Amino acid sequence: MYGTKSKIDLAFEYQSQVAVLRPSIHSRRANLTVKFQDLYGFTVEGNVDDVNVLNEVREKVRQQGRVWWALEASKGANWYLQTTIGQGSALTSSLKFSAMANAITLKKLIRKGIPPVLRPKIWFSLSGAAKKKSTVPDSYYDDLTKAVEGKVTPATRQIDHDLPRTFPGHPWLDTPEGHAALRRVLVAYSFRDSDVGYCQGLNYVAALLLLVMKTEEDAFWMLAVLLENVLVNDCYTNNLSGCHVEQRVFKDLLSKKCPRIATHLEALEFDVSLVTTEWFLCLFSKSLPSELFAYGMLSSMRVLRLYLTWPWQSLR
Amino acid sequence: MGAYRADEDYDYLFKVVLIGDSGVGKSNLLSRFTKNEFSLESKSTIGVEFATRSIRVDDKVLKAQIWDTAGQERYRAITSAYYRGAVGALLVYDVTRHVTFENVERWLKELRDHTDANIVVMLVGNKADLRHLRAVSTEETTNFAEREKTFFMETSALESLNVESAFTEVLTQIYHVVSKKALEIGDDPAALPKGQTINVGSRDDASAVKKDGCCSA
Repeated sequence: MYGTKSKIDLAFEYQSQVAVLRPSIHSRRANLTVKFQDLYGFTVEGNVDDVNVLNEVREKVRQQGRVWWALEASKGANWYLQTTIGQGSALTSSLKFSAMANAITLKKLIRKGIPPVLRPKIWFSLSGAAKKKSTVPDSYYDDLTKAVEGKVTPATRQIDHDLPRTFPGHPWLDTPEGHAALRRVLVAYSFRDSDVGYCQGLNYVAALLLLVMKTEEDAFWMLAVLLENVLVNDCYTNNLSGCHVEQRVFKDLLSKKCPRIATHLEALEFDVSLVTTEWFLCLFSKSLPSELFAYGMLSSMRVLRLYLTWPWQSLR
Repeated sequence: MGAYRADEDYDYLFKVVLIGDSGVGKSNLLSRFTKNEFSLESKSTIGVEFATRSIRVDDKVLKAQIWDTAGQERYRAITSAYYRGAVGALLVYDVTRHVTFENVERWLKELRDHTDANIVVMLVGNKADLRHLRAVSTEETTNFAEREKTFFMETSALESLNVESAFTEVLTQIYHVVSKKALEIGDDPAALPKGQTINVGSRDDASAVKKDGCCSA
């Protein structure tokens, strides 16, 4: 059902990508700057090397796509959702070796990239957003957006200020429709968690989530699960203390894993937080091409780690 | 003045910070000054960004290292860490939004809490091109600037109005402060080693600059 449909979608998607990418073949010869629209509607501009990197990623994702379809054929449609959704009571008694094997397979698959058409479904399920949503009435998001309509708070004022400054020039985000959708998600969240309210940086995260998840409601729940369960606590609250924690951990990791770079930066008296603050507050959505962001989201944002602990936790 | 020079080819390096409420145009002032660019489609700044440009004053090349900061209040804990070592600041407000001017006082306090008392501060009323939307009068700010002993200028990053002058004035003032100090200690400012970083506001050299009566506007 979904499997067949998505394969067609994907084939279509790749065809369009090939067409879009064709100019780069010519420009490689001419050694020109390449400009094209990526999967999420962003205009990507770069030299031939940049395009090659992106093409490599796309090729990997494409190859991975084949693996996903093959597994779907053998394990059944949506096997990846059953592997995880059932965590908790249903699986507690019945988690068997095959389920664990599936979880391990899935972990490996996700590390290598999720086909774009499956991203909304898999992110939603494996991040815990689906579970979070299932604990409240179906109308939660609609009720919330209706209830807060027309309210003015410091958060909504800042949101309104940032809407046109979030990925300006994007063919959908930078339209009245795109602004309205992003506004509803951010305003709704600002009322859901008044400690966070709205913090600059969330606009970029929510915008990318909208593009990947396709629906406002799913983007909202993804944002909720990221802030409430996945990221370090207090990343976006009043003094951004969680963000400071991230920076310290990053610095420690840098000294441990890349001591020469760390020493060099120290000698230059260069504070890496100058660049990393934005990484952590925007979850790379502002600094990476959107396709790379979407590609790396699950593994880099620890959504994966969160998911991986579940089957084993439920064994206890 | 205004000649763009190679990165290492300078006599003094001055750190200058750009602060003020969110959306007053700090990033566009910076890009106008360092790249002569203005973008109506600019993204909101997260954390801190910086750019440099060198200008010539007298026979010296002054390299400005300008730090552009996020304006949202909760970022202050992050951005104030970058004030250290700053010898100049452009405190920006939006002439069309009075609230951004009202907040100037808090920004000034924040700045003075985190930097040397001798820092050169210029109050910048940006978006002066939006004449029909003006909400802060020039007189109001002039009085404030006199009281607070800061410089003051109105700019438009869009129309490239006074942007060059605002930055140049700050850099020149810093330079004067530094050379005056050098004279006072009996040193010929010209004899200072090439490429020396002047960190008048740093902890090691907190008394390097004499307070200058400094209201020009």
